[in-house]
Amino acid sequence: MSSEALKKRKGKVLRADGGTPEVKRGRGDGDQQDARVYTEELELEGRDPEQDYNQYKQTCDSLATLMGEIQELKAGGAKEGSTDVEHRRLQSCIHFMNLKKLNRLAHMRLKKGRDQTHEAKQKVDVLHLQLQNLLYEVMHLQKEISKCLEFKSKHEEIDLVSETEFYEEAPEEISRPLLTKEDPHQLTLARLDWELEQRKRLAEKYSESQTTKEKIQKSIEVKKEHLSSLQPGLNAIMQASLPVQQYLSMPFEQTQKQTEVARHLPPALYVLFVQAKAYGQACDKNLSVSISGDVDEAKALSKPPEDSQDDESDSDAEEEQEKTKRRRPTTGCQLDDKRREMLRRHPLSLCLDLKCKDGSVLHLYFYYLINLNIMTVKTKVSTCTDLSTAISAGELLNSETLLNCLYSNDQGQETPNPANRYQFDKVGIVTFADYVSELGHPYVWVQDLGGLHFPGDAPEGVRVGSALSASHMEATMKLLRGRLQSRLALHKQFTSLEHSIVPVSSESQHLFPAKVISRLARWTTIGHQDYMDLTFTRHATNVGLVKEADLFFMAVVERGTARLQAAVVLNPRYPEVSPLFSLSLNWKGEHSGCTDDNLRAMESEVNVFKSELQGPHPGHQLLTNQLARLCVCLDVYLETDGEDNSVEGPREFPREKMCLRTVRGPNRLKPFKYNHPQGFFSHR
Amino acid sequence: MGPIELLHMSVFSQSFSPCGKYLAAGNNYGEIALFSLSAALGPDANELSQKPILTFAAHEGPVFALLSTDSHLLSAGNGEISAWSWAELIKKNVKAAWTRRPNYKSSLEIPEINAMAINPADNSLAVGGGDNNVHIMDLENGVFKSVLRGHTDYIHCLSVRERAAELLSGGEDGAVRIWDTRTSQCVHCVEVYKYETCARPQYGKWISCLTTDSDWMLCGGGPSLSLWHLRSMSPTSIFPLSGCQRQATFYQDVILTVGEGQCVSHCLMGGEVKAQIPCTPHSINSLAINTNSTEHRVVTVGGSSDHIDVFTNLSYRAFSLRF
Repeated sequence: MSSEALKKRKGKVLRADGGTPEVKRGRGDGDQQDARVYTEELELEGRDPEQDYNQYKQTCDSLATLMGEIQELKAGGAKEGSTDVEHRRLQSCIHFMNLKKLNRLAHMRLKKGRDQTHEAKQKVDVLHLQLQNLLYEVMHLQKEISKCLEFKSKHEEIDLVSETEFYEEAPEEISRPLLTKEDPHQLTLARLDWELEQRKRLAEKYSESQTTKEKIQKSIEVKKEHLSSLQPGLNAIMQASLPVQQYLSMPFEQTQKQTEVARHLPPALYVLFVQAKAYGQACDKNLSVSISGDVDEAKALSKPPEDSQDDESDSDAEEEQEKTKRRRPTTGCQLDDKRREMLRRHPLSLCLDLKCKDGSVLHLYFYYLINLNIMTVKTKVSTCTDLSTAISAGELLNSETLLNCLYSNDQGQETPNPANRYQFDKVGIVTFADYVSELGHPYVWVQDLGGLHFPGDAPEGVRVGSALSASHMEATMKLLRGRLQSRLALHKQFTSLEHSIVPVSSESQHLFPAKVISRLARWTTIGHQDYMDLTFTRHATNVGLVKEADLFFMAVVERGTARLQAAVVLNPRYPEVSPLFSLSLNWKGEHSGCTDDNLRAMESEVNVFKSELQGPHPGHQLLTNQLARLCVCLDVYLETDGEDNSVEGPREFPREKMCLRTVRGPNRLKPFKYNHPQGFFSHR
Repeated sequence: MGPIELLHMSVFSQSFSPCGKYLAAGNNYGEIALFSLSAALGPDANELSQKPILTFAAHEGPVFALLSTDSHLLSAGNGEISAWSWAELIKKNVKAAWTRRPNYKSSLEIPEINAMAINPADNSLAVGGGDNNVHIMDLENGVFKSVLRGHTDYIHCLSVRERAAELLSGGEDGAVRIWDTRTSQCVHCVEVYKYETCARPQYGKWISCLTTDSDWMLCGGGPSLSLWHLRSMSPTSIFPLSGCQRQATFYQDVILTVGEGQCVSHCLMGGEVKAQIPCTPHSINSLAINTNSTEHRVVTVGGSSDHIDVFTNLSYRAFSLRF
């Protein structure tokens, strides 16, 4: 670089000399050139920039003055080339030369400065790189150190005996107190040694105990064998004693067998079995209990839970395999299986037979649903006499509805166990009611008898197990018997009602006058929807007295042209809950109990003042007496109507009943109340 | 009281307490229930405030008539009148202040009392009912001082014309009799069913509602409800209402009337039916207007239901009080 620069400089110098540069350059290529070169660089070092600057200023000033003089002169009329001017021009040229040199020097100085800066910068870069390397190294080392510090030895997890204990117990050759007191590392090693020693000893002890255990087991087995060898002998003795038992009428054997089977009953059925048996022995000789079903299957079910767990895991594994191997069966099929599994019954069931005095028997079959943890019941009625078939009585002894609402609102359609809801959701069962006909009804009282308690809406004293069962046994058995008797009584009554005869027993004779002209014309059963569709039952349905579980009937009472329709709601708990009558009279227009005050009074005569009609306890004659009173009331209604004397001709219904007054009170009611010995009708 | 009894309940009579805050209602089971209007009309009224604050058995038979004096509630049952102190009833003390029986002749059946009216002029109580006679009792000493005889069938309703010192009675025999209270003599007898414009033979001839206001009288029942001018003794307007009316009353410039049919009818004096406001009972026995208290100014209606409808505004049913 320097040589080039030199050349340039030289060139410039030469040029400054004036003349044609090319010729001069060609000449300048000679040897002497070096010698002639005067190094401006050296000169540069010797000069002070400050001085140069001053010189530059002076030069500029003198140039300016010279120019000014030249101008003056020229203005003064000096001719071109006059000496004064020429002289000054020369001087100016010198000054220009000087200026040029100064300029060159300034450039060189700048260049030099730049070079220096560059060098210094490179040096700094190198140093910086070194620094970074060192820092990285430091960091790496620190990491290594922390790794080492964090290292965990396995021995730390071992629970060692405490230090003091170690020194007390360990023998000298292991503890080596001299060495270990000072050095914690040695101490730890020693303690580990001691631990190993101790563990070895314990392992020895363990194997010793194992052998003694085996010995004892062997001896037990020997003894067991001995005991079982006694069994056949005992059996022989039992067999031999059977005739004696029979002779003495002590059914030990039979009860024993039953108890043996009962052991395999699920807890709920077992509770019921025990309680029912106890109740039967203590209070009710007509109650008998028996167990039916496959005992072997039940035995298999009640095996220790270990096996079943294994089974489950196995089957799970199999299922997995199946899934991978072949195509999965359709989801519907799977769901069906799952549902069936969920609704599975315990193979054993309990049969309770309730005998009534007239020889009819109520059979109750209790089942236990394993996976739902609820009990269900199915019923059957057998009567000694063949019941003549009344059409309207069909529902009465229907096993589906026979025990409906034994306790109020207990329809046995929905499962009482709240947990079942979630189980059903899983397998897509909408409601248990769909399965009731197959599985039986899960009435709440059934759960109570089985000692199962599910928290309901109304919190009460919570008892579970046998106590719960025992507390419900007596009441429920009485209710069951009452239900059967009332249904049988109704069955009999319906038969005659269908023949348009209202049976009135001798006990109830005094409730009605001797002569009743209105007659029951028809007695039919109707459906819930039919009942709801009737207009004249609106007031009863609106206040919620009618439920779907009730039985509905239509009675038609006729006299002459008058036709009285009575829609009857028979609660399953009849006669405890009395039947509800709604009336509609078709005579001189359509009247109904909703709109006509007198028909409303007739309704209340049968619905409200029913206590007079109950007859002998427990009131099985209520319904027929209500119907009989309805006929009487219709007579009164018709005979007292049409007071208007202005109408000519004979009355359709001549007054035969004796009434004190035909109308009374602001709403002009007719006298519907019959007074027995005197035989007249009065108002309430 | 079971649901079936409630289903077959009828409300026959109503009366407001002197303070206007309570309503007493009598039903067909001989019970009187006390409702608190201030609670039921209050801003924080709920289901419970529509139930009675007190229910008590007052009589054997239905309570057909209730009436309030300044201090007592008079109730009429089967042939007897009982007085209950309002102050005690509000404190829920149920004890009759007194019980009186008019002197009845018949023995087989005790006649019912269908109507009571107070004549403030001589502080006497007129009682009409099943024995076809009006009995006048002096409220000062509880003595039955006179009997007005004339009706041939039982008496449905009574009305006092204080300014003219007259008592009007309407009965099952279809006659409206006007009695002079000073002489206990019958001064007039109007047999409404004989007027062709009023008669409705398909129903009958009885008069079951009767009310007076200065020279005007409203009466109806078997015959159509009609407005009569008493000085000329002639019907001026006949109201074209179906069914028998059981109670009618003048209220401001309209006539409110109830009876068979599930509505309260508003009639104008001219004879037009202005409106029929539906309500709960299928047939209505009693309508009462509370004029004793301005803040509880309501109209209540009771009939063949355990509900008593309350109208805070005449044009719609606000809510029901329930037995």
